[in-house]
Amino acid sequence: MIYFDNAATTRPNPEALERAKEFTEGLFYNPSAKYGGGFSVRKQIETFRGDLLRFSHAEGRYDLIFTSCGTEADNHAIFCGGRRGNVVTTQGEHAAVFSACTELKNRGVEPRFAPVLRDGSVDVGALLSMVDEKTSLVSVVHVNNETGAVNDIAAIAKAVKAKNPRTLFMSDGVQAFGKLDFTLPKEVDLYAVSAHKIGGLKGTGALFKRKGVAIGPYLFGGGQEAGLRSGTENTFGIAVFAYAAEKKFSNLRADAEKLLAFREKLAQGLDPEIFSRLSPESGSPYILTVSAAGMRGEVLQRMLWDRGLCVGTGSACSSKNRFSRVMTACGYPEKVLDGVLRMSFSPNTAEEEIDSAVRILNETAREYQRNTQ
Amino acid sequence: MEKVVIIRYAEIHLKGKNRNYFERIFAMNLERALKGIRHELHRTSGRYLVADFEEGQTDEIMRRISRVFGVHSYSTGLLVDADEGSIFAAAKTFAPTSGTFKVETHRGDKHYPLTSMEINARIGGRLLDAIPTLRVDVHAPEHTVYIDIREGHRALVFGSFEDGPHGMPVSTAGKGLLLISGGIDSPVAGFMMAKRGLTVEMLHFHSYPYTNEAAKEKVVALSKILSEYSLVTRLTTVKVTHIQEEIHKKCAAELNVTLLRRFMFRIAERIAARVGAKCLVTGESLGQVASQTMEGLTSSNAVVTLPVLRPLIGFDKEDIISIAKKIGTFETSVLPYEDCCTVFLPDYPAIRPKLSFIEEEEKKLDIEALVSEALESAEIIRF
Repeated sequence: MIYFDNAATTRPNPEALERAKEFTEGLFYNPSAKYGGGFSVRKQIETFRGDLLRFSHAEGRYDLIFTSCGTEADNHAIFCGGRRGNVVTTQGEHAAVFSACTELKNRGVEPRFAPVLRDGSVDVGALLSMVDEKTSLVSVVHVNNETGAVNDIAAIAKAVKAKNPRTLFMSDGVQAFGKLDFTLPKEVDLYAVSAHKIGGLKGTGALFKRKGVAIGPYLFGGGQEAGLRSGTENTFGIAVFAYAAEKKFSNLRADAEKLLAFREKLAQGLDPEIFSRLSPESGSPYILTVSAAGMRGEVLQRMLWDRGLCVGTGSACSSKNRFSRVMTACGYPEKVLDGVLRMSFSPNTAEEEIDSAVRILNETAREYQRNTQ
Repeated sequence: MEKVVIIRYAEIHLKGKNRNYFERIFAMNLERALKGIRHELHRTSGRYLVADFEEGQTDEIMRRISRVFGVHSYSTGLLVDADEGSIFAAAKTFAPTSGTFKVETHRGDKHYPLTSMEINARIGGRLLDAIPTLRVDVHAPEHTVYIDIREGHRALVFGSFEDGPHGMPVSTAGKGLLLISGGIDSPVAGFMMAKRGLTVEMLHFHSYPYTNEAAKEKVVALSKILSEYSLVTRLTTVKVTHIQEEIHKKCAAELNVTLLRRFMFRIAERIAARVGAKCLVTGESLGQVASQTMEGLTSSNAVVTLPVLRPLIGFDKEDIISIAKKIGTFETSVLPYEDCCTVFLPDYPAIRPKLSFIEEEEKKLDIEALVSEALESAEIIRF
């Protein structure tokens, strides 16, 4: 099976799993325990925290709060950072941000959704015009998970702060962390990430919080994570996260270069009579979204699975939620929305897989055409 | 004093000399429904008693019995010796602590020394003495304590009746094959025929990859719910993808659905022969969709010789939905996994297709080859 749905989740890094095994065997202690065993686990968690901060060049400037997933990190930032006035975000956000912002309405905070451009990146001018003296939080996704479009969050955050210095700026960095060569600038206050998109495990995420930014806890309890995220730490998950990130960050630039070439090779190999490209060239090297207009993405997806290629899609056969909210916001017509396919890669992606995928995609789409026209 | 579940049956008494046959099957169905629960099933005249079960299983026994067709009503009660002291002790456990009540006695054993009225008066009187907050109201009591004097100097005492599903015992009417989709109607149709005593086998058509596995799982879930009523645990699935593609490619678009349904009926008849079903059952309701017009139904009937039972033919959608809710299939039916992908749906399906036109269009297809190919994809799911 050629696995091109790495933006959904990645295969856990076997090396990282192996190295982290000690936390399920000898070092199973509760890190809050005051005896020796607990203390050693605590020390290790702090090492992993330091490693993750160091890999992302955030050491000394940011704190890192371990969470149960990217969604929790997003929700923490939004509900604890956007507590009054209005919150400005985009129509291109992942559901973890979009739905949380929609929920703000019920909590007395006005959400504002800035439109996106064709490629899924935010219309910066429109976004900035929504920011005013009552804006408590602005949230802009770093890499659009459906198109791969990259928002220049450094510049956007700077412009937001220029308009209202008291506004917190957060970004969902789930598709960027460990993939884009990026250093968190001081204008970004909160940054949500997830482990399982870079070879870690599902059930582990983290929130970067710039030092000095005061937000409260989202989960209350035993006071772990400096009181900001109660709940016994997922020690095994955190260890796998750190080890997987170590591998990912050590080769980040070379991986990105390689995948950029692969992405273009795949894009160029696709039959232009069938597929149109929706991802921008300036987007993440990890994501290529195309549309086979007039076909059903979900049907193609199943046919491709049966032929050994696993891809993502932005459409469903169901009459409810038939089209992706984000792709609809990009302004595509229904025919294009129906046929959306997302190919997303990992450093393990091999060039032969790209070649095979080109062949399988073209053949399958032609077969679909033959069978349905 | 022994805890029992009392089961009264519905239409079986109408069956004259065939009554024994019906009662035997009814008892067998009760046993099947109670499979896996330790119990004893006793037949007394006009009633069945479930006895010797663990107290904690009472609710599950009641739940299962509520799905056995032929059950008119059922109650949890106590089986005691028919002496006044024992009856009173049992009656006390069903008596309320306050409010109005009456005692209602039925004498199955006419040799019993006291009349029904005398028993009512004696037990009622003792209950009044024992629970001073009670008052008697024989016309509109808040609570009733029922006493049923049975043969062999035994009595049943209970406090309420649960309404059963009524109908005829499943399998007394033979076997049918239900064409089940993931929608609201077909499970209801299956339920209704099972209620008339039909053993319901199930057949589902899918068109993978145009439909997905979740849609199939949904049908499995619906079949499971239905199987509690019909006591059958078998679902056959058949893939009709290629048939859909061929129709789409070669025939007039407005006949897509009509032609597909004719194929489904042909395949269903073959499957019916395999499983020993003597009729087909569908959830069609006149005029509900384009394929369910008089002409649509006629065109489907024309390709089979088995009778096609359509118990919902005269039902409104709201009527069907209310039954679906009652029997517990509605919530599963409305899950958003469609069993028919819109890829092949024409913009304007024919509402009154002429049989001659249909047959003309069908000539463009190798019917026998397509049917055989589909039959080869048949899978049987047991649950």
